[in-house]
Amino acid sequence: MPEKWIVLRNCGVIDPKRITTYLDRDGFKALKKALAEMPPEQIIEEIKVSGLRGRGGAGFPCGLKWELARKAQGDEKYVICNADEGEVGTFKDRYILERDPFTLIEAMAIAGYAIGAKRGYIYLRAEYHHLLDLLGKAISQAREKGFLDHFEIAIHEGAGSYICGEESALMESIEGKRGEVRYRPPFPPSRGLWGKPTIINNVETLMNIPQVILNGAHWFNQIGTERSKGTKVFSVSGDVKKPGVYELVLGSQLRELVMDLALAEKVKIIQVGGATGRIIPYDMIDTPLSFETILGAGAITVFDESRDIIDIVHRTIEFLAEECCGKCAPCREGTEVMAEILERFSCGEGVERDIGVLEELSNAMMLSSLCGLGQAAPNPVVDSLQYFRSAYESRIRKN
Amino acid sequence: MGEITVTINGSQLSGSEGMTILEAAQENGIDIPTLCHRPELTPIGACRICVVEVEGSRTLVGSCHTPITQGMVIYTHSPKVLETRKVIVELLLASHCGSCFMCDKANVCELRRIAADLEVGLPRFRVRKRYYPIEDVSPYIVRDLTKCILCRRCVRACNEIKKARVFGIAYRGFDSKVVVDFDQPIDKDVCQDCDVCISFCPTGALSRVKKLGEEKKGKALVISS
Repeated sequence: MPEKWIVLRNCGVIDPKRITTYLDRDGFKALKKALAEMPPEQIIEEIKVSGLRGRGGAGFPCGLKWELARKAQGDEKYVICNADEGEVGTFKDRYILERDPFTLIEAMAIAGYAIGAKRGYIYLRAEYHHLLDLLGKAISQAREKGFLDHFEIAIHEGAGSYICGEESALMESIEGKRGEVRYRPPFPPSRGLWGKPTIINNVETLMNIPQVILNGAHWFNQIGTERSKGTKVFSVSGDVKKPGVYELVLGSQLRELVMDLALAEKVKIIQVGGATGRIIPYDMIDTPLSFETILGAGAITVFDESRDIIDIVHRTIEFLAEECCGKCAPCREGTEVMAEILERFSCGEGVERDIGVLEELSNAMMLSSLCGLGQAAPNPVVDSLQYFRSAYESRIRKN
Repeated sequence: MGEITVTINGSQLSGSEGMTILEAAQENGIDIPTLCHRPELTPIGACRICVVEVEGSRTLVGSCHTPITQGMVIYTHSPKVLETRKVIVELLLASHCGSCFMCDKANVCELRRIAADLEVGLPRFRVRKRYYPIEDVSPYIVRDLTKCILCRRCVRACNEIKKARVFGIAYRGFDSKVVVDFDQPIDKDVCQDCDVCISFCPTGALSRVKKLGEEKKGKALVISS
């Protein structure tokens, strides 16, 4: 399936510093249409029918999330845009924010109107500090033009923690607390930021909203596969000749992205979805990219034949052990144990029973961890044991 | 408060709205092991020992914080649940100092009791052990964080019961630590003689300042099988 620009349609076309260039590209038309012609329930219905799902990795239906927040009781509600983009190998949100901050602002204003929120936050990753000024100016230009009379947007900068991209830790962080996950239920649409109904959407998810409002749910619904509608923006990096950001219709083959667009050669391993994502061998390069198969937040890291799978998994697990918040036992202790075992494997000091231990530990962590990090942390271990088991077996200490 | 019907381990039971799975189970005589949870404190779902299987849920759920809903089908001791609990306890033991025979709390240690109940033996994991110097500056409390399992009961007891908010959590992941101020040893300026946190500590991490010969007073401890 071809490349198609819905999310990136303004990137490189408009001047992110001047709102007039955005207005020339139908900017804020969707917001005007929503405010003038559509009651909030109709907007939510439109998003629901469109089939738009969250682009941050979990793939939760966007319209359903909005509906829950709309119906939840609360004197105040919040819209949060998750621009923490901490997943290893993702840089699509940065690309979007650098080139088209206005669509995001428009989408947040529509979201605020739809769920009945008067205030929104953009949670900006600490490493994206250079975008603070650009975003701030974009917001004030939109305010001057009168687009934000009903809705106020504030930017909250993160402090460099990976776990703060997880929605509940993100809210704790905005509240000024230690970035740690909360147990659920209650889910954010019923009790989120400061205990009020809150929606948290990824930058890319929100970027789709104005187009859905303008062109209709039916138009959006035609794009993609049965359960994955629209396009996805991928961040491709690693052993490729043309790393970068690509937007493809959902259901496109991994081969098209990695081989045809990013021009990879001698591919051995592909990590889809970053540190907590899936690891697949070259044999599976014809897998379509969709919520039904593999997707994550759209990070595609390509490793060629010179790379070693154990090193990749070891480094990934070390990263996750470092970034674990430390609240729940299985993740806090489990990632550390995994890192210890993998370190021995990486220097040829593995023991035969370690493989069984890794599998048992992975299972327990996936089943019992408090948040998505701990539940998905064993993914690279499980996948590599499935597809590259011989690499482990060859590192078992002889004698 | 509406009545809610749930199925726990095959039997239909009723509970009231707002009740957690743990409360509903306990009310009906089903014992679910807990470590970080105490009924006097707000749940945090940190230790994950109390996880149970709920039909339709991808993962196991923490019973101390998940409210019951109408028609919920729950298994508190399925093979999947028991296997998972065992691994969690094994993990906690693996990084724990393990010098039980020298520990004051040895026979009343909740971690040891749960390990015995779940038949967890010597951990297979060769992870590093936590080590911190003993903090004994305060005339009221001795903190041996080498024995801490990060259940955060002391943090919540101090916040919620004493309302003194002495403790906080610092550092991340495996290095997480219950600290006072900017990770300074606890002293009498921040902490008075209230003992609340000590009574909540499941292990030997928090204890009173011992007077000589005190261990010989009172009833003898008997190790139960």
